[in-house]
Amino acid sequence: MKLISSLLRKNTSPARIAGFILSNFIGLLIIIGGLQFYSDARSLWKSEESFVNNDILVVNKRVSGANAWDKGASVFTPGEIEDLQKQPWVREVGDFTSADYRIWASVGEAGGRGMSTMLFFESVPNRFVDGVASGWRFDERTGEVPIIISKDYLALYNFGFAGSAGLPQMSENILSGIPLRLTLTSDDGRRMRDFRGRVVGLSDRLNTILVPESFMEWSNRELGSGESHGPSRLIVDVSSPGDVAIKDYLEANGLEVAGDKSSSQAAYLLKIVAGIVIAIGGVITILSFFILLLSMSLLMEKNRDKLHSLLMLGVPVRDVERPYAVMVVVSTLVAYLLSAVCGVVMRGWYVEPLERLGADVGSPWFGLIVGLFLSLVMTVVNVSAVHKRIVKAWR
Amino acid sequence: MAGMLPRVFVSESIPASDVWRNELVFRKGCRYRVEAASGGGKSSMCAYIYGGRIDYEGSLYFNDLNTSGLTIKEWQEIRRRHLAYLPQELSLFPELTALENITLKNSLTGHVGLERIEEWLHELGIDSRRDYPVGCMSIGQQQRVGIIRALCQPFDFILLDEPVSHLDEVNNRKAAAMIVAEAERQGAGIISTSVGNHLLIDESITLKL
Repeated sequence: MKLISSLLRKNTSPARIAGFILSNFIGLLIIIGGLQFYSDARSLWKSEESFVNNDILVVNKRVSGANAWDKGASVFTPGEIEDLQKQPWVREVGDFTSADYRIWASVGEAGGRGMSTMLFFESVPNRFVDGVASGWRFDERTGEVPIIISKDYLALYNFGFAGSAGLPQMSENILSGIPLRLTLTSDDGRRMRDFRGRVVGLSDRLNTILVPESFMEWSNRELGSGESHGPSRLIVDVSSPGDVAIKDYLEANGLEVAGDKSSSQAAYLLKIVAGIVIAIGGVITILSFFILLLSMSLLMEKNRDKLHSLLMLGVPVRDVERPYAVMVVVSTLVAYLLSAVCGVVMRGWYVEPLERLGADVGSPWFGLIVGLFLSLVMTVVNVSAVHKRIVKAWR
Repeated sequence: MAGMLPRVFVSESIPASDVWRNELVFRKGCRYRVEAASGGGKSSMCAYIYGGRIDYEGSLYFNDLNTSGLTIKEWQEIRRRHLAYLPQELSLFPELTALENITLKNSLTGHVGLERIEEWLHELGIDSRRDYPVGCMSIGQQQRVGIIRALCQPFDFILLDEPVSHLDEVNNRKAAAMIVAEAERQGAGIISTSVGNHLLIDESITLKL
């Protein structure tokens, strides 16, 4: 066996094998590094709120001077909603339902010192709100209404209003501990209801004051005038927020997206950059694969007479192909291990600064497994190419 | 062999032959001498029987088995255990020594022991060249290495393509005796070809190509 492999390894060029290992190493390192960085950095732009999916956009019509007093102009027609639904990047569209009555909210003792304000309520279908499933329900018995408000409102209060009015600033925790008294009055003032309200969450993405869908339906029935308007805002679940197609569509149709869009655009940019980097790594890996394929072909071509003579002696095909298969497997494995180790070391350099930025870093496994998978595919293809060449040399 | 003919001969008119376009049966235990002028297709015939080439018309059977259906794996098994072959070009590995060339073949089946190989080397007068690279030996010496290598396997037939073309009569007789002894021991047939310098075996059936 030793004789056979020493015969067949004659003419092996260490430089070519080293060239393959180096280029395969570089290609795999870029792929592994790119995938690792993507999965680690992605969380930087992920919104941390748990109750609204990151892929949600809130869309409304742009208010212009011409339509400022025309209530109907800002309402979406069924045709417009259907058109939006048909866009390839849309997973699901839901309506915002507005309260059809007046709302008066107050904090503090009834009739005593406290604050009160007029409010508005909106609701969206329950499927768009997740995470607080247990608390996100209106219980008619206790009469407590859970509310999600926009974070912007808290910021406006804390930094705009509280200081100038000599009021204390509030954290999210304090805010959710404050009991609100809600007085709901029908438009004609004849019907009136009292409830307790509680802020259960703050949202970056929903620029509104949100109550559960069931409460909205019930209260509109009880206190509403019965007139129904179309929705003036839509909640849209999209497949890739930040996609240019979304921006183009919204601009073309005079629509606006509420809330913070920069994070989804940054996440989109990260996706594109990671995609480019990984593609470059992929190209280098494919080139390195061809280097190995060609150098094995060249080596076997140079040793073709020997291959033929060995097969003429009756040496089993697998014994003839083993030295080449071992060469393929070992060099691919070396390249993979080198790139895996370097990938993990490189990750070690950026993980700490990334965590300081607030990223919730992922695990390195995804990149490593993809790299291993690519190496396996390359090995299988190369070994089967070796087998084919030997079968060709048989006759 | 049933109506076999090299494809290159198909359009040519060839002289009457015991082999081509004939039904021919080689039997175990018999000795055959295939004689032909150069270019008569001796080496082709050996290569056809050994499965190395298939550029022929007609069919080749081992017992009742048509060889056209054999897989590479089956051919390799036949080459290790049923057919021994010394090609005219010898196909030795020049960078390996005489002994390495022989043990490479012998290791496939472990047919004979090292002492036996050394005996054979001694009988053919090349024991002193045992550890020389074959590439540095004369053609006659290489032929003797090739003959010993061909004997290092179990076989039903041994095919020898001009095995003694570069040997003197003394070495020819020694080689012939060795081949006959080994073939008889295994109950095998011998098929040897030549253009003039025959392997000196008695009682052989002569076939004209």
